Amino acid sequence: MNSQVLLSLLEVLQMVGFVAFVTLWIEAYLYVHFNFPKKSWFLPAVLSVVPFAVLLLVLVAVGPVITVGQAVNIYLYSLLAEALLSSFFRYKGDKKLALPYMLIMPGFVGLALLIAYPLVFEVYLAFHDLKLTTLKVWSETGYLPFVNFEHFYDVFTKSPLSEVSFWQLLGRTLWWTVVNVFFHVAGGLALALLLNNEIRLRGLYRTLLVIPWAMPCVVAVLAMRGEFHSEYGFINIMIGRLTDAFPMLAQLGMHKVQWLSQHAFLTCTIINVWLGIPFMMVVILGGLQSIPKSYYEAASIDGASRFQKFRHVTLPLLRPVLAPAVTLGTVWTFNNINVIYLVTGQSGGTEEADILVSALYKAAFTFNRFSYSAAFALVIFVLLAVISLMWLKFSKGTESAYD
Amino acid sequence: MTELRRSTPRFKWGIFAVHAALILACVINIYPLLRIISVSLRPGNRLISTDLALIPDGATLLSYVSVIKNTNFLLWLWNSLIITVATSLIGVILASTAGYAFSRFRFPGNKLGLTLLLGTQMIPAGMLLLPLFLMVMKLGLINTYLGMVIAYSVSSLPFSIWILKGYYDTVPRSLEEAAMVDGTTQFGAFYRIVLPLSTPALAIAFLFNFTAAWNEYLVARVILSNSAKYTWTLGLFELQGQFITQWGMFAAGSVLITIPVLMVFLYSSKWLVSGLTLGSVKG
Repeated sequence: MNSQVLLSLLEVLQMVGFVAFVTLWIEAYLYVHFNFPKKSWFLPAVLSVVPFAVLLLVLVAVGPVITVGQAVNIYLYSLLAEALLSSFFRYKGDKKLALPYMLIMPGFVGLALLIAYPLVFEVYLAFHDLKLTTLKVWSETGYLPFVNFEHFYDVFTKSPLSEVSFWQLLGRTLWWTVVNVFFHVAGGLALALLLNNEIRLRGLYRTLLVIPWAMPCVVAVLAMRGEFHSEYGFINIMIGRLTDAFPMLAQLGMHKVQWLSQHAFLTCTIINVWLGIPFMMVVILGGLQSIPKSYYEAASIDGASRFQKFRHVTLPLLRPVLAPAVTLGTVWTFNNINVIYLVTGQSGGTEEADILVSALYKAAFTFNRFSYSAAFALVIFVLLAVISLMWLKFSKGTESAYD
Repeated sequence: MTELRRSTPRFKWGIFAVHAALILACVINIYPLLRIISVSLRPGNRLISTDLALIPDGATLLSYVSVIKNTNFLLWLWNSLIITVATSLIGVILASTAGYAFSRFRFPGNKLGLTLLLGTQMIPAGMLLLPLFLMVMKLGLINTYLGMVIAYSVSSLPFSIWILKGYYDTVPRSLEEAAMVDGTTQFGAFYRIVLPLSTPALAIAFLFNFTAAWNEYLVARVILSNSAKYTWTLGLFELQGQFITQWGMFAAGSVLITIPVLMVFLYSSKWLVSGLTLGSVKG
């Protein structure tokens, strides 16, 4: 293991060096441009583009990372960007702005390279045809056949996996999101209300209750998955013992169930509800504790019942905490691949539980349908954007109704 | 709620019901963890049984020994540690400066930048995975730490920037102004005054980055295929896949991972929660 340790450290050092180099280069670029905005742009241009050209040459020389043609392309584009940026800075440049731009630049370059560029790349992929058979040609020559909207058409007509259709997945996703978020909020609210009483051992209860959230997700899901095993899982053992002890229950229809193969969606939902409640509980508890006690006193003086206090004091005052938590929770649940993949992702796993995003993951990396899944991803993205916009409009609408 | 109880002290059974409900919820929430511990203590010949006793007959630590000796468990931990620490450091450094710029300066693109940061959170995680994977593949970084760190490095960045911006907003400007009167530059004031004062927020951001990368599974599954480079999440998934044969080793490995994570989490949960709500209060 020793040589591996050294190698890994070397790799990390290399990487840190690379990041530092790029960062320094960007900072120098900005510094030069902001601090000589009135001078001719020739000197700064040379100052910042020459090292870049050297870097590209080194990359070409060192190994098979980029080809000469690509290097020339990148260089020409960077020259163009350089000219545009220089003229922009020349007319809009302000020395006071140098520092903030220098401060945000490294982070935003990272975001551009690792979020914005992949998004553009995804659009490119969706209109071209990348699959296992064209992968080799593409990685050697960079050539991909253009196929227009074919993949988008396929998304709605062909199954992303082997059987399940897009519309089934969409319906299941909506159902999954609604059910999960409902139970997260309901369960979280119930537990938070219980914890908000002044009782003994409150801290202990709170600590024990957040454990599903605190455990590493992979361990929690895999452990729960074990409990749903048809022979050795807790649930079926319990069902077996109950039906042995009370034969009447068996007559009523209680029997062992193949959770993982026949009721995978139900299993995933139960596991995800179990996982998600603690987070909501903590958020809601924080909200409850920030409500001043005097409000409840005032309500008591006015003769409000317990339920009335809950309805007219607690709920409205929880709104500012609850609204963002529910929005976030909805997006997270909609995008939750982990639970479903960990439960059904092994070979021979079922498709019964898949929602849109988990089907996307499997289509891309189990079935290797690259371009297809790029188109699929864009469809999901648009869908999510439309839903979020509608939600934002809706929540803004109710907000103004409240005020 | 407390007022309510004080005004009606007769309802002792109410308190009893609250305790009962909470105990039931606690049992449901920690039972899987207890079961994992119990399975990890089972002797080899009784690994798969329908026994529900929490401390099994003939409890032994053999599973722990065998997960360390017979699998790459320690190597997986080491891989995870390297990737996670590198990712978190990069994330925190990038976020600490960007957050400061958003907190203290009004520059063209300030609002737009903050909104874009929130917008990135709406992008489905699975969506960027394919292009990222292809990029990493084209760069020849499959099965390397570098590829993993690149794939992880900015995933928690927007959130960290928001957290740190929120915290910097609470640091009084007069401190920096005083330092600048004494002759330091704006960046010097940030570096010498604001940054040391923001240690708690930096710690939260680091912890957040750390847990996100430490518990990550899906990206690792795509980028790492060589068992010697696995992170612990991949390793455990592999052990759990062979349900019958390696159930005990999976359980032992899970316990070894979970206990320190739980301790760190419980110790820091107060800050974590305040960090989570910080952005929403300020926003």
